[in-house]
Amino acid sequence: MNTLRASLRVPVARAALAVLALVLLLALLGGRIAPADPLAQDTAHILGGPSADHLLGTDYLGRDVLSRLLAGTGLSVLAAVEAVAVAALLGVVPGLLSVRFGPAGSWLALRAVDSLMTLPFTLFAIAAVGLLGNGLHQAMLALGVLLAPLFFRVTRAAALGLDRAQYVEAAELMGASRSWILRVHIWRKVLPTVAVTTAHALATGLLTVSSLTFLGIGVQPPAPTWGGMLASDLGFLAQQPWAPIPPAVLIMLTVGALNLLADVLADSDRTGAAPATARARRVAGRRAASGGPSVQGGPSGQSGPSVRGVPSVQGVPSVQGVPSAPGADSTGPAPSVPDRKEHDHVPHPA
Amino acid sequence: MSAVLPRAGAWRAGPLARRAARAPRPLGRVLGSTVTVFLLSSLLTFGLGAVSDANPAAAVLGETATAADIARLDHEFGLDRPLAAQYGDWLLDAVGGDLGTSWFTTVPVADSITTALPVDLSIAGLALLLAVLLGGAAGVAAALSNGGRLDRTVTAVCTLLGTLPAFVIAIGLITLVAVQLRLLPSGGYVPFSQQPGEWLRFALLPALALSLDAAAGIARQLRTSLVAELRRNYATGALMRGLSGRRVLFGHALRNAAGPAFTVLGMSVPVLIGGAVVTERIFNLPGIAQLSLRAAEQHDVPVIQGTLLVTVAVVLVANLAVDAVLFALNPVARRGPRPEGRATKRTGPALAVGGNR
Repeated sequence: MNTLRASLRVPVARAALAVLALVLLLALLGGRIAPADPLAQDTAHILGGPSADHLLGTDYLGRDVLSRLLAGTGLSVLAAVEAVAVAALLGVVPGLLSVRFGPAGSWLALRAVDSLMTLPFTLFAIAAVGLLGNGLHQAMLALGVLLAPLFFRVTRAAALGLDRAQYVEAAELMGASRSWILRVHIWRKVLPTVAVTTAHALATGLLTVSSLTFLGIGVQPPAPTWGGMLASDLGFLAQQPWAPIPPAVLIMLTVGALNLLADVLADSDRTGAAPATARARRVAGRRAASGGPSVQGGPSGQSGPSVRGVPSVQGVPSVQGVPSAPGADSTGPAPSVPDRKEHDHVPHPA
Repeated sequence: MSAVLPRAGAWRAGPLARRAARAPRPLGRVLGSTVTVFLLSSLLTFGLGAVSDANPAAAVLGETATAADIARLDHEFGLDRPLAAQYGDWLLDAVGGDLGTSWFTTVPVADSITTALPVDLSIAGLALLLAVLLGGAAGVAAALSNGGRLDRTVTAVCTLLGTLPAFVIAIGLITLVAVQLRLLPSGGYVPFSQQPGEWLRFALLPALALSLDAAAGIARQLRTSLVAELRRNYATGALMRGLSGRRVLFGHALRNAAGPAFTVLGMSVPVLIGGAVVTERIFNLPGIAQLSLRAAEQHDVPVIQGTLLVTVAVVLVANLAVDAVLFALNPVARRGPRPEGRATKRTGPALAVGGNR
């Protein structure tokens, strides 16, 4: 909780949240605030450039690009949210429960996770659509299953570490109930990790949804989607080389904001809710934005750039510290360590 | 990676980095878990087909089919047998190279895949090569200018690439290189075995589009680990003994830093294949993804299952290859595990038991 609140004080996070709120608003209201009917064809202005009537121009059927962009937001965002909800459900619950699995159960669960991770998203979603019926729900269910390992791993890793934490033992000794411990100690610690994963999964989901709609999977042709608009632009690159820019920029902004948010969350999670001064956080935010070394270097053995795409993770925090545990540092050669339990890692030095 | 996870790629950086943290696993255990993963994936692939309501008889015979006709064709395809028996036969045949026949064209699935797979493999191979060259150069350059302008530029470009789906990159490249500059064709394919030169002309653009994401991942990881390696005592010591910076970089630091980057490379193989689906459509390549797309439209279950299974096999083989490279890069692993006692003495008992267990 504190982590979430702390990251809200980082300016980058606020900017990312503002972008996401805007996209959410478009997703909910996009169809209604569109200046024109996204399906109406203005045959007098086919492949037109930006004008007073059509702020972003028209496509090959004379449809208003801005309106299609606004109306298409809802479907793309909703689909990604659906996939991530499935993934969180399928990942978090077994992830928490898996702490109680025996060694054989754990091994099998981890191999199952591995096999889900070998499957490419797009191809698997296509297969699911081919086998289960053509619909975005089928594709999103498949995507959710493939994203679930993310949630499974982070919850399991966090829960494994916490299960042995001394304050959990202390609470048990003082007679706290299992559900109280879960609510007060475990969940509060797992939540930031889940939040980071959710942001990443949403970014991935959005990109996969745009790939799928680009291929025309799960949507009926006239309905506008981000990917579908790019697909129709592809045929007219010679006439309108700039046409793919608006949908591409919208995808980039949304995905970039999600990645940025995930990184800020991960950073503040790493420092814990340690009482950093507001100034330190500002500096951290600025450095993170400029790609310089981040002050939020974690004392823990967080494995290196666990998050993608954002400058602050470019290595600095995890690698320069004293190698706290061989193998926990993403770069240590650590050849002498007897093989660690693969894939399990403890993100908190709990 | 296909964009962040995506694209399927983005999130893969997480597990990647975690994998990267590991010392190479013993080969026996690698093989064991690879086989298990393959079996589980095949079960999933088969299970999807089993729960699907696609029925070849109804699809092939059309609406006028009688119940008897459907039953006859079901029998012909072997669909009236228990699911466990169907799965066993399918898997055994698949391992032996027989993936069944298409319900619609009656062409053996293995044949269709054999013609389509080289397209993907050759383009993915070229993409991997480009990713290593571009990502490696960018990563080394960024690490050397640690914190400088070049470093920030590389970081910014990598971040930008991470937010773009592979097909947006592809569209951008087509617009720029094929439509505006007219340097390369915007689509089509010539097999490598026929005209290698022409193949390169057609393959370069799709391979570049595919590789940029993986290149960004490699650059990021290489920069991170190279910066750390160059700060280690052995690097400083080598410099103090008078070795040239170049020798320290290429002879020592890069070798140690390459491991995590290779792991990133291995993890980007599924992403490359995932991105290939869209790239194939854009560049009109007769690859395995087009095969799968067509099959999905027709609900041609054997083809869908076959392509998925072959994809899994390709990914697993790529992962094995990465494990082998990591093994070769790490002399300690080659010599066999160090005696427990030494590790214990050096790192203390808590770490000797494996850190977190």
